[in-house]
Amino acid sequence: MLRRVGLPRVGRRRVALRTFGITLAAFVVGWTVGGVSGAAAQTIQFGAILPLTGPGGLIGTQQMRGIQFAVDQINAKGGVRGHKIEVLFEDGQAKPDQSVLSFNKLVDLQHVAVIFSAFSGPSLAMAPLATRKKVLMVNAGAQADQLATASPYLINTLPTIGDEIKVLSKYLVADGKKKAAILFENDAAGISGRDDYIRYFPAAGGTIATQEPTQFGQTDFRPALLKLADAKPDVMLVSITAAPLQMAQQYKQLGLTFLVAGTTFLQDPALVADPASNGIVHTQIRIDAPPELAAEFKQKFNVGMEFFVRQYYNATQVVLTTLDKVLEEGKPVTGENMRETLYQIRKFNGLIPLEFKTNTATVSIDINEMRDGKDTTIKELSAD
Amino acid sequence: MLWLQLLVNGLETGCALGVVAISFSLIYATTKIFHVAHAGIYTMGGYLAWWLVTLGVPFLVALLFAVAACTAGGALIQSQLYARLERRGATHLVILIASLGTLAVMQNIIAAVFTPNILQFPIPWASNVVVLGGSVRLTWAQLLTIAVSLAAYFAVMWFAHYTILGKRIRAVASNPFLAQITRLRPQSVYVIVVAIASAIVALPGVLVPLDLGLQPYGGITPLLTATIAMIAGGVGSLTGAFVLSIAIAELQNLSLLVMPGEWSIGITFFIFVIFMLFRPTGLFAAR
Repeated sequence: MLRRVGLPRVGRRRVALRTFGITLAAFVVGWTVGGVSGAAAQTIQFGAILPLTGPGGLIGTQQMRGIQFAVDQINAKGGVRGHKIEVLFEDGQAKPDQSVLSFNKLVDLQHVAVIFSAFSGPSLAMAPLATRKKVLMVNAGAQADQLATASPYLINTLPTIGDEIKVLSKYLVADGKKKAAILFENDAAGISGRDDYIRYFPAAGGTIATQEPTQFGQTDFRPALLKLADAKPDVMLVSITAAPLQMAQQYKQLGLTFLVAGTTFLQDPALVADPASNGIVHTQIRIDAPPELAAEFKQKFNVGMEFFVRQYYNATQVVLTTLDKVLEEGKPVTGENMRETLYQIRKFNGLIPLEFKTNTATVSIDINEMRDGKDTTIKELSAD
Repeated sequence: MLWLQLLVNGLETGCALGVVAISFSLIYATTKIFHVAHAGIYTMGGYLAWWLVTLGVPFLVALLFAVAACTAGGALIQSQLYARLERRGATHLVILIASLGTLAVMQNIIAAVFTPNILQFPIPWASNVVVLGGSVRLTWAQLLTIAVSLAAYFAVMWFAHYTILGKRIRAVASNPFLAQITRLRPQSVYVIVVAIASAIVALPGVLVPLDLGLQPYGGITPLLTATIAMIAGGVGSLTGAFVLSIAIAELQNLSLLVMPGEWSIGITFFIFVIFMLFRPTGLFAAR
């Protein structure tokens, strides 16, 4: 007959209780730190829902690199108060439905407290979920005006498109470009831009002669360009986020001569490098990287530290600074605590000074002109 | 003159769509398979040509290689996927799902290998402009698309009506059962048809991106529009598919003269819905 060998019953109960206690403590610590993996209890996880494939894939990849670069830097220094940082990237494909699925996955399964987002449509679709689930959403790329009021849990580290269009409209009208035609993308960001042109360009003293839509990801702009040209505008106001290079090339091929003007959306390295971009004017949110930082980035990724890399690097710095203060105060890393602490800090000094008077940061906006493969600032303007 | 430029642009878009439509029509009329993966073949052709051109291969050689590769790709899909499924008794709905899966796999592989970014052919002459009649401006890529598409249409018509293989294909399309008992071997004809159609679709697959750039998911819209043209033109009628493709493209372009662009697609297809109510078999369908 076999006998069970081991601890006496009381001893076994103590061991079981102790094991349960340790497990419970580990779980509580893990839960309060937020998104902690079982294997590495010290790791804090954030989420990022970016378009990594599809027409927005180029920008999304830049955004991902910006976040990863900032996280790698902080991890190389030992993390934030000893906690390593990990970012879980999800491919939202710039689609609202796909982004909402990714949001639920990151929040419900991974319990992340902070999610980086991009593109207006997806960010607006996720905003109500952020409010309901108290997750801090950080947008450093989308600029639709509705983002300013979409959720108390959404912060925008760059101004809305309306802020840029106010600046651009005043500049163009002062420059004698008073009759405008609008080319816009038929999605949340493009329509928001169109509405802002309609609101602010006439307010600055200009008139809107006509407008034409294009579809997101479309590369045949000729019909729309031809129709806009028929109105004989002084300037074409552009509100598209994809394929600006093809738009500029077809504009040149059709022999059009009116000025092309737009916002940060036009800041595409491929467009700047192409001769078709000569003369294009656009607003630019001022955000530069120090040469040594840009060189470090280039060494790591073998590409330049482009605009959206800088934006998301900067936004990640905001999140990491906030996280540092949350941990310093011994608070659990929740979306609610991150949000409250961010507004307590309010002013951040990353790549550019940011101030959160509202959920949308106040920053400087310049007027740039593309010529001979360079994108040069021709007028510096204040954000206010 | 705005209308003339829109008309010529519509002709160019329509010609390219027309070639997609006749190639899809060839497959559908013969095999009865809704070969959605045809959009993947279209996209693959463009990417293969782009890859070769970036390696320094002359454009014409790259185009011919893309045509050859697409021919092989189409034959492979028919012989190794559709034929196997049919032998196991799969319905056309199951084959459609398999085709959708094949398209998704192809698109994802292309996106993974070539990135999801919009790529451009590094061929400066393609974007040089030719001015016709003093006011119509076309790039060489657009002119080439029109010329090659028209040539492809007439070549396919000649092939279908005046060659033995073309007649054999029409016989199989007309009555597969009779073709089987008269030893026309429908299964091998199906492979040949899909291979030929894949070769044809590689032409706009390369020439359209030469003008507008490449995207991994860029084949779906042309295929959907071409499918509508095929149905409205009359299933089985190559001329119907080609003419209706041009008509759709012209309607979309010229409608801009009288309405905003956001309405053009909706109104164009509304007209076709009305048209189909009166002639459900299509414009060129045999009575």
